[in-house]
Amino acid sequence: MTFTHLHVSTAFSAHYGVSWPDELAQVAAADGATALACTDRDGLYGTVKHLKACMVAGIDPIVGVDLAVFDDDGDHRTQIAGRVVVLARGHNSGAGYRALCRLVSDAHARTSGKAGGVVPVAVTRAELASRTLDPKTLKPVLTVLIGPDSDVGRAMGGRRYLRPRTLFKRWLEAMPQGAMVAEVVSQLSAPGSPLSTAHAVRMLKLAEEHQVPAVLTNAVRYCAEDGAATADVLDSARTLKSLPELAAEPMLQPNGQGWLKPSGQMLQLGKEIIGAAGYGAADLKQLMAQTEALADLCRIDPVTDMGWKQPVVPEASVIGISQDPHLELVQRCEAGIGRRFPGVSGAAEKDMRSRLDHELGIIRSLGFSSYFLTVAEVSRMIIDMGVRAAARGSGASSLVNYLIDVSQVNPLQHDLIFERFLSQDRATLPDIDIDVESAERHNVYRRIFDRFGSERVTLMSMQNGYRARGAVRDAGMALGMDDADVGEIAKQLWRFSAGKFREALVEKPELREFAGRVEQRDFAENQQLDLLVDLTERLDRLPRHISMHPCGVILGDATLLDRTPVQPSGLGLPMSQFDKHDMDPMGMLKLDVLGVRMQSAMAFAVREVIRIHPSKAEVVAAGAHPMGPEGTGPDFIADNGHINLNAVPLDDEPTYDLIRSTHTLGCFQIESPGQRELIGKMAPREFNDLIIDISLFRPGPMKSDMVRPFLEHRHGFAPEVYPHPDLKPVLQETHGVTVFHEQILKTFNVMTDCGLARADEFRRALGNEALEPKVEEFFRKEARAKGYSPDVVDQVWGTLKAFGSFGFCKAHGAAFAVPTYQSAWLKAHHPEAFLAGLWEHDPGMYPKRLLVAEARRLGIPILPLDINRSQAEYRVERVTEGPDRGKLGIRLSLKGIYGLSGAELKRIVAGQPYDSLADLRARSRLSKPSIKRLAQLGAFDSLHRESGGVANRADLVQHLQRMQSSGTARKGIEVIEGQLALPLGDVELRNVKPGLPAPTLVDNVRAELDLMAIDASGHLMDSHRPMLDRLGVTTADKLLGLRNGTEVLVAGVRIATQTPPMRGGRRVVFISIDDGTGCIDSVFFHEAQEQAGLLLFGTRLLLIRGTTRRTGPRGISLSATMAWDLSRVETLPFPASRPETTDVPHPLDGISRSLAITGMGG
Amino acid sequence: MGMFSESVDVVCSAAGLPVSLQWAGRHYTVCADPVRWFERRQWWAEESRAPLGTGPGLVDHEIWRVQVRADPLHFDSGHPDRPGKGEVGEETLTLDLSRHLGSGRWRLLRIHDALQPRTA
Repeated sequence: MTFTHLHVSTAFSAHYGVSWPDELAQVAAADGATALACTDRDGLYGTVKHLKACMVAGIDPIVGVDLAVFDDDGDHRTQIAGRVVVLARGHNSGAGYRALCRLVSDAHARTSGKAGGVVPVAVTRAELASRTLDPKTLKPVLTVLIGPDSDVGRAMGGRRYLRPRTLFKRWLEAMPQGAMVAEVVSQLSAPGSPLSTAHAVRMLKLAEEHQVPAVLTNAVRYCAEDGAATADVLDSARTLKSLPELAAEPMLQPNGQGWLKPSGQMLQLGKEIIGAAGYGAADLKQLMAQTEALADLCRIDPVTDMGWKQPVVPEASVIGISQDPHLELVQRCEAGIGRRFPGVSGAAEKDMRSRLDHELGIIRSLGFSSYFLTVAEVSRMIIDMGVRAAARGSGASSLVNYLIDVSQVNPLQHDLIFERFLSQDRATLPDIDIDVESAERHNVYRRIFDRFGSERVTLMSMQNGYRARGAVRDAGMALGMDDADVGEIAKQLWRFSAGKFREALVEKPELREFAGRVEQRDFAENQQLDLLVDLTERLDRLPRHISMHPCGVILGDATLLDRTPVQPSGLGLPMSQFDKHDMDPMGMLKLDVLGVRMQSAMAFAVREVIRIHPSKAEVVAAGAHPMGPEGTGPDFIADNGHINLNAVPLDDEPTYDLIRSTHTLGCFQIESPGQRELIGKMAPREFNDLIIDISLFRPGPMKSDMVRPFLEHRHGFAPEVYPHPDLKPVLQETHGVTVFHEQILKTFNVMTDCGLARADEFRRALGNEALEPKVEEFFRKEARAKGYSPDVVDQVWGTLKAFGSFGFCKAHGAAFAVPTYQSAWLKAHHPEAFLAGLWEHDPGMYPKRLLVAEARRLGIPILPLDINRSQAEYRVERVTEGPDRGKLGIRLSLKGIYGLSGAELKRIVAGQPYDSLADLRARSRLSKPSIKRLAQLGAFDSLHRESGGVANRADLVQHLQRMQSSGTARKGIEVIEGQLALPLGDVELRNVKPGLPAPTLVDNVRAELDLMAIDASGHLMDSHRPMLDRLGVTTADKLLGLRNGTEVLVAGVRIATQTPPMRGGRRVVFISIDDGTGCIDSVFFHEAQEQAGLLLFGTRLLLIRGTTRRTGPRGISLSATMAWDLSRVETLPFPASRPETTDVPHPLDGISRSLAITGMGG
Repeated sequence: MGMFSESVDVVCSAAGLPVSLQWAGRHYTVCADPVRWFERRQWWAEESRAPLGTGPGLVDHEIWRVQVRADPLHFDSGHPDRPGKGEVGEETLTLDLSRHLGSGRWRLLRIHDALQPRTA
């Protein structure tokens, strides 16, 4: 006998299920099962993974859902009567699966998609009943299982003996004939309690009484008994209550018997229930047979029922095409030739034509023409919106994409290979990613929905699994530990998987203290810590919730919502319950529309340039652009001053000067400490260098030491070596080092004549244990046959093998290098506008305050907050007075001030200018705390000066503080509409009583950090300067002048912490600090990590001792030996001859609110 | 009802049902069909470790409610000298026994008042 489990939650039932679909399918198959159901709670989150797992295990998938049902008697919007399992029937051309999808979408339709929404995920009984019937045939295609968690099952524990029967009859009346079964479950809990045999018996008898089939399940939550403890912790995380609290309620599972029991035990369970019911052997046989009969009815054919691996794209008519899509594509490419290759002729035209024919041939035979047209349509739509967009990824390898304006990179110019993107041998829909301005991403999404119709579009979701920090927090909560204690521990967990917690305790210096506490087993508290480690490991990787994927949009035809259930996203637009791994199996076309903050920052900068310099001549002068032969400036600047960034030539010398200087903070892709080091070494001279730089700065090449030989060859320190002259054309651009996927493809092709399409298949097989040996065999045989010597073959294979699956697609690199170049170009020519864009959109990896420091370093005035001049955005402004008169400065924005609401911000800006505080209060209706905070930030200083008052900022703050606490001040003068306030000047400001000492620079900077997370008036390290001088600290700007290997002390505020993967697997920690004169990048190897311990990740202000390492003509970094916490003055290594003095006040003192000030967190 | 946690020796049938047991020096025979269920443990308070792979018995233990009757003393070969308890053999006792799922060890959890009606 085999038994089929029909009620199984996988780990994708967030905070409920414990086991992964493949574990469950493997265990079921090993026990001899021929089918297995996946009935996740609230959705089909694990369904596609379940399908895949069942196909691998060789069993039939059954798909369903575990759904809540609204209480017909209660409040229909919020009250739940219970939960039921709904299974889709199979082998009906998808009718069952379709109904299931629609039902699940129904259940989510009323929810808000936001955390903490009041409407639960649930269906009404009427919806459920109507979905069970196929709209075409009116036959049932779903089966509803009324089980222990249904209203019927839940009523069995109550006092009203007849209640379960009444409820059961209601179900019978509501559901179509044959659409309902009774689910009998006994998890052998204490007699008379939920999930007990006694309750199972009652359900069985109800079924018997009403001639409804009964089926046996075990309401499975975990694969084996061991998962029960994990399920307890998940219950705690779901309900936000500790295990002791839940046990008292009692709300925990009654015991640990909800596992995937083998068929023998299920039969035994059946026997016990039948026996307890007083029934006989025939009844047992019937119960088991009915279970299998339902299983048979619900076996799903992945292909005919769910469209497994059959790509579906929008109907041609939707994108406005009436003719054959391929013909349309050919015509559009023809049209593109004139635009992209004006006047092309001769050999160049021949090459281009033959490439185009080649691509079109492959696209036609794969039937992907409509796909390209769809992507082109989206791309065109975005550009028409006036939004910056750039294709990235391997899509840049396609000439077709270039001709139809999907991509901005000419693949012929950069020698990109189409087969890397799409080939005859690979029939999955290729990925095309489009980067758009982040600030416009949601608008772009809405336009896609409008354009294609909401029945054809949905957002893709992503699964968020437990990582170490979240896991330790939830494990701590389950154990009822103190929040602050757990938070303290969580803070020290730095990028390792929760599953390796115990291992990490032994290895990581920053966890040493915690590990010590775990080891002292004498105390009850420490026993709890031991459990904490175990439970954290149990939670590792388990899905916590789904959320909108940052860029995935799914496009389909009118049947899309029959193939994926959807639920509201936080954005309000519907989101599929499927994630990126489900796209290819389900034949779904996913477009990545990625919001890139840098694109927004650059668009902002371009707008600021026009605003400040509203004509071509002014822009040319301000940016020192070449005048050109006609003396009117370059073509990429329009008459109104608009700069077309995509048209800027890629050979601008000042841009490369800037890049080589390594002062690239804020530039796309090349601002990280590691990249600044690499560009310092590499000294890029041309666009191709940027492509190589970006491609080299990847985990693979860094890990496999490709960078060093590349640089040695590049700078001519070592002669370039090629394994064979035939490979010189392939490897020349990277001086003999294999960097790009494209080079792997060509190497295969040159040495074996395999063709580029097969070569890409070979590349994919590298690093795959099963496939790689076959590739090696082929390569060696064919290369030998072509006459390459064994030495050459050995050497080249060694390279190919080492390359494995990493390395980089040159098309990616080329697509990335475009915004890299553009951002550097803006920084070189229009630094004020560019930095304002960076501050506004905060695109980079660093805290914003570092980019403020960068402006200060560049001598760009940072203009203070001013109630009449600051806007809701950062603004470039011509300085009209003072020492910086005539310069362009950046005015601080009113946005992002702690406590100032969006509505207040709007009202302030709408009412500008103000002539007095009273005027401000009356028209902007600011709260008193907001007014006080603005005063602290100096926003009223100029108003105050103009009023002629003699008091200072501190006096004003005190005055406002008093008004706030006394609460007697009027809310503001009543202003009658249309009546102008009398221009009296500000009596209030003039009369503020002086007396307090003016706030020091430290006070002001502290207020700025506390309320805006930036230090605008001065650098936050400035106040430490005297102490640092006593310590003998070297500043960043002086480092470059030192010899290699000089021992120095440096100090600064942390701006970045990175632990990249390293050769040899030993962790290396990079910590960058900023001291006001620039960045200092330090590296902590193993020894130094041991020395620094807790300081590694937990300290904002650091003093570091290390030796200088020269990395290039303009690059220097520090190899750290020791670190101190600068705020703990007593621990600092003052020279013995100079006695330590008392601490000085520092801007960071007392600020704990905003971690965004420094480079900690995440 | 009393709460205990004493070790007992239980003899089971081939089907795994308790048949007789040895407790406090006396031998008892199970005289009615036993009732079995699984009951949760407060494992987070009782255990100091719960690593993955702990296996059965961490979260719950098996409970058997058995009705037993003490054997007449002359069958009790282990204690031939204990006098004067012969009449007790007629009285039935309801006991809750727990079996640890991992180790298979039996313990006596509760003795129910013989007059108290059974809830199961």
